[in-house]
Amino acid sequence: MAAVMPPGGPPGTDPFDAGRERLGVPVEIDSIELSQIGEDTMELNMGPQHPSTHGVLRLVLDLDGEVVKDCRPDIGFLHTGFEKSFESHTYQQCITFTDRMDYLAPLINNLGFSLAAEKLLGVEVPPRGQYLRVIMCELTRIASHLVWFGTHALDLGATTPFLYAWRERETLLDINEIVSGVRMHTSFIRVGGLMADVPDEFHGMVNQVLQTFPKAIDEYELLITKNPIWVERTRGLGAITPDDALAYGMSGPSLRGCGVAYDLRKAQPYSSYDHFEFDVPIGTHGDVYDRYLIRMQEMRESLRIVRQAFDNLPGGPVNTSDRKVALPPRNEINTSMESLIHHFKLVTEGFHTPKGQVYVPVESPRGELGFYLVSDGSNRPYRCKVRAPSFSNLSALPHMVRGELIADVVAVIGSIDITLGDVDR
Amino acid sequence: MSGARAAQLLSAKLPDAVVRREEAYGEETVIVEAEHLVAACTLLRDDPDGQYTMPLFVTAVDWPDREPAAPRYDVVYQLRSLRFNDVCRLVVQVSEEQPVVPTLERVFPGMDWHERECYDLLGIIFDGHHDLQRILLPDDWEGHPLRKDYVSFGEPVAFTHNIEWALPAQERPPGMPGSSR
Amino acid sequence: MGLSDAAALSGVALDGGPAGLLHAEADAPALPIPRTGARERTAVQTGVITTTVGKVVAWGRYSSLWPALFGLACCAIEMMATGNSRYDMSRFGAEVFRASPRQADLMIVAGRVAQKMAPVLRQIYDQMPEPKWVISMGTCASCGGMFNNYAIVQGVDKVVPVDVYIPGCPPRPESLLDAIVKLQKKIAGEPASLRG
Repeated sequence: MAAVMPPGGPPGTDPFDAGRERLGVPVEIDSIELSQIGEDTMELNMGPQHPSTHGVLRLVLDLDGEVVKDCRPDIGFLHTGFEKSFESHTYQQCITFTDRMDYLAPLINNLGFSLAAEKLLGVEVPPRGQYLRVIMCELTRIASHLVWFGTHALDLGATTPFLYAWRERETLLDINEIVSGVRMHTSFIRVGGLMADVPDEFHGMVNQVLQTFPKAIDEYELLITKNPIWVERTRGLGAITPDDALAYGMSGPSLRGCGVAYDLRKAQPYSSYDHFEFDVPIGTHGDVYDRYLIRMQEMRESLRIVRQAFDNLPGGPVNTSDRKVALPPRNEINTSMESLIHHFKLVTEGFHTPKGQVYVPVESPRGELGFYLVSDGSNRPYRCKVRAPSFSNLSALPHMVRGELIADVVAVIGSIDITLGDVDR
Repeated sequence: MSGARAAQLLSAKLPDAVVRREEAYGEETVIVEAEHLVAACTLLRDDPDGQYTMPLFVTAVDWPDREPAAPRYDVVYQLRSLRFNDVCRLVVQVSEEQPVVPTLERVFPGMDWHERECYDLLGIIFDGHHDLQRILLPDDWEGHPLRKDYVSFGEPVAFTHNIEWALPAQERPPGMPGSSR
Repeated sequence: MGLSDAAALSGVALDGGPAGLLHAEADAPALPIPRTGARERTAVQTGVITTTVGKVVAWGRYSSLWPALFGLACCAIEMMATGNSRYDMSRFGAEVFRASPRQADLMIVAGRVAQKMAPVLRQIYDQMPEPKWVISMGTCASCGGMFNNYAIVQGVDKVVPVDVYIPGCPPRPESLLDAIVKLQKKIAGEPASLRG
């Protein structure tokens, strides 16, 4: 129905009306039933190479005009076989794999796996180690949310937040680098504690972050939060009810956006999160805008946690004193034969865990990241299933985008903040 | 203790379903019969004392030669209750010849993808699932990689002690993986 | 053509001899650097430059590489960091990430390539118009890296031809910039007839 005619008809007439008359098409189009149109849908392929799918996600969309009738995600384009690789590597080697799973929050992956192995071993990490874990994990959470913020805003047409968010993220990567030597995949959190204690420069850098970041987040919010275009494009979009969200197994900010105040850091505190005071922001409508507000608020809460942990950072060792799990300090190796043997055994063979199965969840920036670890008593995990938050969150995507416009699909994908490495593992 | 509530609830209201209860590391595992699985999960979801409304995952553990003899696969279900703030674990043991369990996608819509993943990687068949296809691997993939008898070889790595790995396939000793002789 | 561009071209052209781009020998060809010597000034002032078509084509190719906006895994995050404020890939003329492979001439394979992704990757490569180049970013893309298992292609060079490999897991942004500069040098040494 090519009813387009250049404007220029008599004043007061709709150029489109004139065009339709000329083409002999009835002017009244309201009589066409929407359901009749719906029988003739178009199938559109989106991805896996698409700038706004945050990786290699493929969506098959059934479209009626611009309205999404159905959405079938196709995943697995980044399936890496982590769970098989775990089975052939020792526990300490597995830590390096966990980094690369959810590559935006590597340290939180480290923590989840370490906590699971420590539960099997019955090992307790000293307070300083726990506090440093909390600091590093919360900085990672901020870094992850910054990537989400930048890319989510970029998907909806705002370029500036992308540049701003990455500017701040670089300072967090600098902290990663000063503590571990690597920018992203630090493997800093190990079974039994940390890779090492933090260097002196760490304190100044964290202080710098604590001073500059609140202002930076204010700046982001000034740009976006009340921006009419942003509000128009995100409010009321991709809404999901709390019951539906739970039935799909959604967790993290996507679940809290529906008003469910469930945060594992509060509900089942691990690694001494119960020592810190922080709020769990929740939404009311469960839409894209609420999820946006929650993540922005979470960055502020993370800063609060870092501030408290940083101010009350206890002294002492960072690693467990169990020499069968954590490497002995260097000076001990030089003087004690036993330490040398432990060191040799740990490096060549690793430690053996008792038989059994445990499930340990942690709160990743995307939701409940769980490690279900089965041990047969050897030095390698017999089976390690990763309960990936992005996987469950993404499975609710068809439910959320049905009936929305195709241009809004990217907004919904951005708002559930998936990492394809986490989805496909 | 995590999971104890579910175990007690199932023992009290659906005793037929419970085969055995195991407890370790402060986590209780309930081993249930496959035919009672849907009833058990519905009970855990709907009972006021259960309220396990959130599906966490389903996976399976492959035990090819278990001592004493037992079915080969443990199909593991993990559920979470937000109201009572705990998790529970159900295990269904299925045999190598018939690795079939009933689907839970009508109890928890979120189990849909997890069951497909479990089918894809471990070959457990979820009876009644509306679309039991591979999800992570290509459709034409052969085998189920997370089974213990699936050899996961990317490419041999040649070190000094196994330099023959560096040989082309036709020159490798017979019987060696990848050998064409 | 701007004044400095003309100077760059004429600088090369007037040098002539074996150092010229088309006559590059086994030793790495030098990038033509804008120079402001007396002879070049004269060339610009007279408004006449002499060069060869091949040099102009190569200059055009290496000066504005357009990468495909195509990330796979962790390395894609570092690729984004490279394009972003601190590292600023636009200093090397390679910041125009194109979402459509039809408009791109450089593919940065940033991350591990799963078996399921390999045919897709090849298709994207085939969709790119000639001339095109490939940077294999990171250990996973180059050789499979730590993921020596059933799911990962052991090196993207099994699927597409690779011009520059970058080690690292993930490589630092500086490494990617270095790879781009190396690729530019390589392109500068290629005869125009070699590709497309």
